[in-house]
Amino acid sequence: MLDIISMAYVAITFIITFLVTFIATPEVAKVMKHYGITGDDVHKLSKVKVPEMCGLAILLGLAIGTTTYMILRPSYVRETLAFLGTVLIAGGIGIIDDLRPLGARVKPLLTALSCLPILVLGAYVPTPVFPIIGPVRLTLIYPFLIPIAIAVTSNGVNMMDIMNGSMPGTVSIIAAAATGVLLLSGEAQTASLAAGLLAAMLAFYYFNRYPAKVFSGDTGSLAVGAALGALAILGRIETVLVVAMIPHIMNAFYGLASVGGLHERREIHQRPITLLKNGLLKASTEKGAPVTMARLILAEGPLGEKQIVRGMIILTAVSSVLALVTYWITLGGRI
Amino acid sequence: MPLVAIEVFVWLILLLSTFLVAKVAFSINFGNATIIERIATQVMRNFLAGAIVLVWLLVWKKVTDSYLLRALGRQTAKL
Repeated sequence: MLDIISMAYVAITFIITFLVTFIATPEVAKVMKHYGITGDDVHKLSKVKVPEMCGLAILLGLAIGTTTYMILRPSYVRETLAFLGTVLIAGGIGIIDDLRPLGARVKPLLTALSCLPILVLGAYVPTPVFPIIGPVRLTLIYPFLIPIAIAVTSNGVNMMDIMNGSMPGTVSIIAAAATGVLLLSGEAQTASLAAGLLAAMLAFYYFNRYPAKVFSGDTGSLAVGAALGALAILGRIETVLVVAMIPHIMNAFYGLASVGGLHERREIHQRPITLLKNGLLKASTEKGAPVTMARLILAEGPLGEKQIVRGMIILTAVSSVLALVTYWITLGGRI
Repeated sequence: MPLVAIEVFVWLILLLSTFLVAKVAFSINFGNATIIERIATQVMRNFLAGAIVLVWLLVWKKVTDSYLLRALGRQTAKL
């Protein structure tokens, strides 16, 4: 466990990140609305226009929160810079994608590159800890796995950002589990970064929850996903985060497997879910339709958007509990 | 909720796969004397680990597909 001073730094990072994100989100939304950067809320009959790219507020919150932490605790500057660099590069790719959509194959490749700060600063230990078996030395292969990990987490979160509140709602639970695990392992700096992510997600959820007043866009979702990947690497909680992210990985894997590889949304003609005249959503019964988490939740019958997101949050809560159990199993093998 | 059951199943299979990767894939050792031997060991270990993960993903997909088909079938029958 951490000492009281380290806990105070975790709390400071949390409070600053929360306040900055909470204050910045409506301001960013105003700017986006002014410039006409809006998107249709497609799962509603009214098709309201909602400001896009408000994930910029998440980037701002994380940047200010982690920079404050870096100033307060300069001894952890390398890890903090690696985290911030990864988040900002992924966010930058998101900005490009929001303004001028990247191809389905280009996006994962570019997001993989956002791990460069981790590699360049050498902010990793090539000995991941696995449940039951303990630490495994992967000196040569580990640096090659880092870009894959960042691409999977960032695109996994991006693919889950489909409904009001689904991205911040699920990621805040994962970030809470990560913060808890890192606090228990005494990883002060990474726990502060995880607490910052949790704060940004809670603040953003307030505006993005049903009925959404803002959309994060790829700017927010890619950055948040990259942040989770970076936390896994920096905090040496790779397996724990893989388990916590099971719903995101399931969603991405089913989607890719059912449409036969990487395709942009507009390239897929069959929709996984359809909006009914009464405002409820229904799973597509067509064989070739993509299999997504939303379609799986709707397989038992039509539901409202709010209920589907609640289902996603419940699944993430279960996976986060399983992640804590995994950490407990892993504990014996930790160095 | 059947999806929670699938999730727990996926987690259990993940633990089993990790155990198999450790016991089978990481037991491979072509020696440590030269860089070639070390690279060969790491490449082979990761190749086998990848194969185990692939089997895990296929099992996982099979279970989900059968749930989806059954649930959608029930829904269509109700209509």
